[in-house]
Parts: sequence; structure tokens; C-alpha cells
Amino acid sequence: IFRFCRSKCHKNLKMKRNPRKLKWTKAYRRLHGKDMIQDSTFEFERKRNRPERYDRNVTENTLKAIKKIDKIRVDREERHIAKRMKRKKTKELREAAKELEQSIYLVPVPEKSPVTLPDKVPVTQKQSEENRMEE
Amino acid sequence: MVQYNFKKITVVPNGKDFVDIILSRTQRQTPTVVHKGYAISRIRQFYMRKVKYTQQNFYDKLSTIIDEFPRLDDIHPFYGDLLHVLYNKDHYKLALGQINTARNLISKVAKDYVKLLKYGDSLYRCKSLKVAALGRMCTVIKRIGPSLAYLEQIRQHMARLPSIDPNTRTILICGYPNVGKSSFINKITRADVDVQPYAFTTKSLFVGHTDYKYLRYQVIDTPGILDRPFEDRNIIEMCSITALAHLRAAVLFFLDISGSCGYSIAQQAALFHSIKSLFMNKPLMIVCNKTDLQPLEGISEEDKKLVAEMKDEAMKTVIGQGGEPTDEAGVLLTMSTLTEDGVISVKNAACERLLNQRVELKMKSKKLNDCLNRFHVAMPKPRDQKERPPCIPEAVLQARAKQAEADAEKQKRKLERDLENENGGAGVYSASLRKHYLLANEEWKEDIMPEILDGHNVYDFVDPDILQRLEELEREEGLRQDEEGDDDFEMDGAELTPEEQAALAEIRKKKSLLIQQHRMKKSTAESRPTVPRKFDKDKEFTLKRMGRQLSALGVDPTAAIERARSKSRGRKRERSVERGDEIGNDAMDVDEITPSKKQRRSRSLSMARSRSMSRPRNEFVPGEGFKDKPQKERAIKMFKKSANKRNKDARRGEADRVIPTLKPKHLFSGKRSSGKTDRR
Repeated sequence: IFRFCRSKCHKNLKMKRNPRKLKWTKAYRRLHGKDMIQDSTFEFERKRNRPERYDRNVTENTLKAIKKIDKIRVDREERHIAKRMKRKKTKELREAAKELEQSIYLVPVPEKSPVTLPDKVPVTQKQSEENRMEE
Repeated sequence: MVQYNFKKITVVPNGKDFVDIILSRTQRQTPTVVHKGYAISRIRQFYMRKVKYTQQNFYDKLSTIIDEFPRLDDIHPFYGDLLHVLYNKDHYKLALGQINTARNLISKVAKDYVKLLKYGDSLYRCKSLKVAALGRMCTVIKRIGPSLAYLEQIRQHMARLPSIDPNTRTILICGYPNVGKSSFINKITRADVDVQPYAFTTKSLFVGHTDYKYLRYQVIDTPGILDRPFEDRNIIEMCSITALAHLRAAVLFFLDISGSCGYSIAQQAALFHSIKSLFMNKPLMIVCNKTDLQPLEGISEEDKKLVAEMKDEAMKTVIGQGGEPTDEAGVLLTMSTLTEDGVISVKNAACERLLNQRVELKMKSKKLNDCLNRFHVAMPKPRDQKERPPCIPEAVLQARAKQAEADAEKQKRKLERDLENENGGAGVYSASLRKHYLLANEEWKEDIMPEILDGHNVYDFVDPDILQRLEELEREEGLRQDEEGDDDFEMDGAELTPEEQAALAEIRKKKSLLIQQHRMKKSTAESRPTVPRKFDKDKEFTLKRMGRQLSALGVDPTAAIERARSKSRGRKRERSVERGDEIGNDAMDVDEITPSKKQRRSRSLSMARSRSMSRPRNEFVPGEGFKDKPQKERAIKMFKKSANKRNKDARRGEADRVIPTLKPKHLFSGKRSSGKTDRR
């Protein structure tokens, strides 16, 4: 039996769409590593099949602990996502540096810039022969 | 024991139906077709067969009737008398006698006519003989019609008689009308006899069965008897008298102490004395009923005396059987069927007395020895004086003691059911099951535990050592936090400075412009002629341009220009090429976008560009893609030719496919003077 938080989810199920392929679902996010999958905080919330005898103290502690565990779990998830986002930043920076190095010739040389043109390479005999070959 | 069951007698049809049945059977079961052309013997045989068949059927049916109805002399005298009382023996016998004579008459008739048929000489004669035979037989039956009806009535009534076994243990209940006999039988058996305030509610005998000491007892309820001389009694009373007379049973004489039946104790006592002759050899008990209205001690002296007399009579029967003369309690009993007070004891006493009497009789009879021979209880002979009681193990004794204790406790323990009844019954009270919970602390029994917190099931988290695990987790978290702090510092080193960022932005802008330009120029080889680079039609590769680009980059171009000049081919080409270069900037030139571009452009266009770059249309230029001039002229001609057609259709160009009116009326309407209009 399925229960849905809103009709969007219900209607998608009726359309027989695979949640593993829909970007906005939790199933997709977990499968593709967008959200945190394995963590010790998940171990706390495990279905236990043996009923425990009621103990007021234990219940009190549990209720307090739930809140703390929640907080920690949420923090960890956020950190997971932030780490994922950071990778793009590093990649961008690397690419920017590379582009800067390679395509600097398109930009007029400013007076005092850290980028300098490469030194002139003396033309060797070999190169002149090649030119002649082309023509 | 044969159960007298009169339900198995076949239905006696009335005269007309009888005749119909037999005649239709004759018609169906014998051959029906005969012609006058047949041989005479065949015709005779045909009709004789019919007559005999009819006679045979009548005989059979009448015989079954005679056989099935019981012969009053052959059955148990109780039933004989009962049937006599109900139906009158004489009438009964007469009816059956008439049936018998009818049977004989029919046989005689058939015999005579068969004899006559043997000599019938024509079909007609044989047929009329047969008709006469059958007719006579039917008249015989018609004449006994009333007897048949009477027998049918008797049969129906007999089928409803109660099946009383005259030989088994029986208890008979008798007394005045309305004393409570039927109520008593209702109480001790499953019989459902009518109980009403008027006299003679019970009009015939009723049988119920009850059990005592693993034996079945018949209890017979009789209609009430009035105190009258014997001859004046009606049929209903005679039923009960018959039962009393013939059945060997224990008799319970019911006495109504309170007098609410309408008859005083004196009258009832008188009745008792008048029928006491019937109580010979039967265990008799006086039962005083309706003690809830009037207890036995409360009656007057005369009544007490009368009752005592009756008791004495009853005692006589006891003594007569050789029972204990001092057993007074078993002779006079009190009870009340309304409050069910004493009913069971009366039943038990009656059954006991009857049983004892029967056992005694059996013991006295000769058949006893046969019975005794059949069973024998073996007792071990004692070989010494040592007592050997039965051995019961300790555990069993203890268990028994405990069981007794538990039973006693159960009696005085308050049940949940009682609690429920006190607090309003089944729908109102709901038992609190929590009070039986086994918890470490009694105060926790009424605790309500939350099931959900912040969208989590609390039960999933419950764990005795959750605190410890939480501590570990927090420690982990602390460690992780520190590591995170370290990580963040590493990242900052690779940031770009603002100058570098500005340069990067420039690079990207330039690149995007180049790409745009390339896309504008981009086309496939099919739509543009592939001209080698040496025919530089658009004059892209000029020294001027190179110089401009290099200076835009901030590099001194003079050295490069000199070198290129020295290395180039001929001066003629350059001169013609430079025509356009010297004058002004190409507005499309990407490399130099100077601020006064607008001014420059307008001026250069108006002044310098007016006729500078223009050529005549059919001048042959090597960079365009034509081989020579005539080819170019041919191409131009083709272009114009196609343009002509398009212009006539008012089309703006090749790709113009606009239809100004999709359904012009003159094409889609109107009749034709001759011909069909199904194609337009």
C-alpha cells in the first residue's frame, strides 16, 4: 500500500514512471550519490522486531536523543552536498588557469601584468626547409 | 423394544379416488388396441386380461389396508384400550370387515365375468362384458366409500399418537385439571406442552423423556381427571384412565395445595380415593404442587388429615413392594413448578423408586440368573490382615489440594465480568488492560508513550544503550568538524587575482566573438564555391590587417611587416589589393573596435567608400569561383531567368511559399452549365 505526500508523486506512480529515473525523487538522488547514503546516524533508526519492555527513563533518553541525532544527520547531509558542489569550483578554477595560460595571445599585453609572452625562439635551419617544402 | 409407530400405514384413498387410480392403471398397463378383425381368442384374451388385472389391483390394495391397520387384539392392551377409547373398537372392526367383504366380492365378480368372457363370440360382446365387470367392481368400492373415509381419518389420527413404549421405565403424572402437571413435564423434559389457565388444556397424552442415572425415563402427561362415576367419563379422561390402568409406571399424583386450580383439597382427596384401585403395584408418590402460593404447613387441620390419609395409602404401596417402611420422604413431596423449588428432587425420588421396583422384580424373576451369569466382579482374596489402601502418589495429592484451593479462590475472586457489569455493561465499560502490565516501576502503567516525533517513529530509536551510542556519535562529529576546518583552508590558494580575472573575461569575450563570426560565415561546400586561398576576394589577408592586429595586442608590428614585404611575390598584385585597404577601416573588421567607430564609418562610407570597392557585375574576378568570363555571364543569365518567373508570381524570393488566399471563391463555388461539379 502506497502513501504519498502530494498528488504529483501519486500521479507519477500511476503513469508507471520509474522513480529511479526522475531527477527530483529521493530514489534517484540516493542512487546517483547526490544525497548521503551510508552513515552511522542511519543506524539509530532501525526497525527492531523484538518489542522492548516500557521503561520511562529509556523513553526520555530516546526522545532527547532523537533531536540530537536529527541535527547531526542534517548537518552531515548538508556537508555531503557542499562537498559535491565544491568539486565544480575546483574544476572551474583549473580550467580558468589553463585557458588563461593558453589563450593569452588574444588579449593585448598590459604594461605590468604577471603574464609575459614566451621568449622568442630562434628559427632553425630545419624550420626554414619546411617552409620551403610547403610552398 | 418395539416402538409402536402408526406412522407407517399407507394412505387410504376415498372411494372415487380409489376407482380412478385402479382404472387408470389398468388403462396404462394393459394393451389398449384391439380391432374387430383380430382372432377371437385374441380379443377374448385381451378383455380377460383387463378384467383380471383390475381385480388383482383391487385385491392388492385392499389387502394392504387390511394388513397394515393394527388388529386391536394383537397389540399391547394399552394401545388396544387406547384405540378403543379413541375410535370405538366395534366401528373399527366393522370398517375393516367391510373392506374384507368388498375384496371377496370383487374377486367373485371377476371370476364370474372371466368365465363368461371365455365364450364371447364378438368384440362387441367381449367389450360389453368387460365393461360390466369393471362397473360392478367399481360399485362395490363405491358402496364401501364411507368406511374408507373413516379409516383414513383413523389413520391420520393414529399417526399423531405419541410413541409410548409400554415396557420401558415410565413415570405417569395424574391429578385434577390445572394442578400443574404439564408445567412439571415442561420443567423436567424437553416437551413443550401447552400451559393455560383453563381446565382441559391438555386433551391427550404427551410424552417427554428425561434422564436419571444414565437411564432414559419416559414421562407421560395425562389430561386432568374429574371425580365422576366411571361410566360418565368422556374420551379425554378415559385416555388418562387407560394409561393408568395399563402402563406399568411410577405414578405421581399431583395435589394442588393452594386450591388455585378451582378444586379444594377435599375434592382432590376424593378423586384420589376413587381411583386408588388403579395404583395397584405401582410406586405411588403424592406431590403437593404450588407451594409458593401456600406452604404445606399452612393448610387447615382437615386438609392436613386428608393429606395424611393419602400418604398412608401411598405408604401401603411402598410396603407392598418390600421397601423400607420408614422412607416417608419418598412418598409425600412438595414442590413449586413456578419457582422450580423441589422439582428436581421430585423427579429424582420418582425415578429412584421406579428403578428400585423394577430391579426388584427382575431379581425375583427367573431370567435373573441368566443376567447374573453374564457378569462377575473379581475381588482379590485377602491373604493376610495387612491393610492395602490404594496408592496415590504425593504429587497427585498435592495437585489435588492445589486445585481445591484454586477453585475456592475462584469462587471468591472478583471477575472482570463482574467489574464490567458494575460499570455499565458491555457497551459502556471498556476494561483497562494496562493494570496487568509487568513493569519495573508501578507508576509507569498509565504512561502514554509518544509514537511519532518530528516525522520519525520513536519505536525505531528505542534502545537501552542509546545514550552511549549518542555520546560516541557526538565525539565523532566533533572530530569531523575539526577536519572540515582544515580542509577549507586548502582551497583558497587557487583563486584568481582581479587582473587575471579581467584578462580571462577579455579572452572569453574575444573567443565568443570569433565563434560568432565563424558561424556567420559558415556554410557547406554545396552552397559556396571552394576557392583556393590565393584568390583572396574579400581581401582578408593583407599586411595592413596584420599590422593592425599586432598593434592591438600591444606588439610593435613593423618588424613583421618588413619581413612579409620582403618575402612576398609581386608588387602588382599588392597594388590592386591595396586599393581598398588604404582608405579606411572595414566596418566588419573585428580586431579594431575603436570608440569613434561611428564617426569614422559614416565619413569613410560617404567619402571614401562611395565607389571604391564597387565593380561592374559581370567583371570576372578570379576569387569568386568562376572559371572565366563567359561562364560567369551564363550564370548571371540563369539567375535572372529564374528571378523573372518568381517576380511574376509576386514571390519575394526562392523560399517564398506564401499563398495569399487559400480558398479563392471563384475556384470553389458556382455551378457548371453542363457536366459534374465533383472535381474542383
